[in-house]
Amino acid sequence: MCAAAVDFGLGLRPEHYEEIAASPGRVSWFEALSENYMVPGGSPLHWLDRIRRDYPMALHGVSLSIGSIDPLDERYLDDLKALADRVEPMWISDHLCFTGLRGLNMHDLLPLPYTEEALDHVSERVKRVQDRLGRRLVLENVSSYVTYAASELSEWEFIAELSRRADCDILLDVNNVYVSAFNHEFDATAFLRAMPRERVRQFHLAGHTHKGSHIIDTHDHPIVPDVWTLYAEAVRLFPGVPTMIERDADIPPYEELLAELDLARGIAAGVPSEAAA
Amino acid sequence: MSGTNTGSLADLQRAFQDYLFHSSDAFQAAVRDTKKADRVTLLDVYRDGYALRLIEVLTTDYPGLMAMAGPADFDHVARAYIAAHPSRHPSVRWFGSGLADFMARTAPYNKARAAVEMARFEWALGEAFDSADVTPIAADVLLALLPDAWETLTFTALPSLHRCTFAFEVAQAWQRRDEVEPGNLEVDRVDEPVTWAIWRPERISSFRSLDTDEAAMLDALVAGRSFPELCETVAAFTGDDQAPARAAWLLRTWVEGGMIAGFSSGTPAG
Repeated sequence: MCAAAVDFGLGLRPEHYEEIAASPGRVSWFEALSENYMVPGGSPLHWLDRIRRDYPMALHGVSLSIGSIDPLDERYLDDLKALADRVEPMWISDHLCFTGLRGLNMHDLLPLPYTEEALDHVSERVKRVQDRLGRRLVLENVSSYVTYAASELSEWEFIAELSRRADCDILLDVNNVYVSAFNHEFDATAFLRAMPRERVRQFHLAGHTHKGSHIIDTHDHPIVPDVWTLYAEAVRLFPGVPTMIERDADIPPYEELLAELDLARGIAAGVPSEAAA
Repeated sequence: MSGTNTGSLADLQRAFQDYLFHSSDAFQAAVRDTKKADRVTLLDVYRDGYALRLIEVLTTDYPGLMAMAGPADFDHVARAYIAAHPSRHPSVRWFGSGLADFMARTAPYNKARAAVEMARFEWALGEAFDSADVTPIAADVLLALLPDAWETLTFTALPSLHRCTFAFEVAQAWQRRDEVEPGNLEVDRVDEPVTWAIWRPERISSFRSLDTDEAAMLDALVAGRSFPELCETVAAFTGDDQAPARAAWLLRTWVEGGMIAGFSSGTPAG
């Protein structure tokens, strides 16, 4: 028995707006970057509305800064709620990280120390955001390049416990697991196995840049074979979870991403689910 | 390292951010080496990435400035701006909003007046690009007004409308930005400064130069002056006899160009 049919999506990028609108139905859904559409009007919102008519969408943010010690940004949450009311997304996701403090934004996904203090702090904030948005939040594991000496838990222990305490879901970025596993020398499959099955809401796939001593999550290359292998394991463990491919730089023609998505479809179709094993 | 030894979430986050701003290296003590890379190499991914990411944002927002300055000088001004103006907005969309003002008041960039004007022009284009959507009025609704209504008629411009006065031909040069190697875009000075209108009637932004009387009348319109007052503004350039016809013609040009969002005939001019 193979894994149940899963939905395959792409990131919504301006380079592909016209082709997407002209040829509906070639992917199952799109993931829109929330901040790109928190604008008064114009072309971005035109295309968002236009493509939303043909496709389900998820909203994916980069600036919630759920782990920051700064107060939650109420204006950002207002804007996110307004965007969600417009898009009616399948779910809203962001990253398990902080992006700045003292009112500043570093526009990077800075890792958290995996401590009980951080777990308490983030859990409380996730609950508040979920109350505000009226829905579960989906949080993504980030690629990271450093580990804190102060960490008391592994990243996978932290995420699993957070999802239970805060009643939130998980966006499992398979490339990020691979990148962080290489950078921090842990077993990527152990990470996957530690994720609570009922909480994994979505997969991300992406390319990266290998620097020899470390890997940087750049989203500017095709997905590498080792990440496809890890994806096959993720699909086996979590059958039926929607998958999407992120590409944010050196963006190729739409057809190229569709072909890469076909690879994901092929892997998912050929993997026996753990439930059937 | 003050506080960071405690390993508290707050101390670690402050130390991390300070590290990215080059204001302290204390954060190095809070993270680990790996077998493959030392902690400084790994932290450089974040420290270098912070600047490179924002430089890329500015490069996207200011292609004309890049074409004028070239990569090295652009990098110089971008890094100075990043250091002086850390981002305070959740979206990088707004990060470059202060670049023209920063250049205008900061040596040595303030000596490159054409570059300052290019930055101002490009930001206005960007603001028009995703400004609020308002459908411009059509000319026939004005033609249907009774003559008395024109005595108190005031107008509102599209939210996307910006007016900029340039002493250099930045708008003309901007259209050649992709035709030259970066650093080689020449921008000529004009004999007299010219005011430009930048707006977005539908999804595509427009810009064009304004005649002197047209710029003055558009200023008056945006300030909420009534149509008779707009005529008075134009009269300063054309004389009283020509003013009503000229003002009506300019108004029609703006309406047909999709620059006018609405009008009111019941409110006295402010």
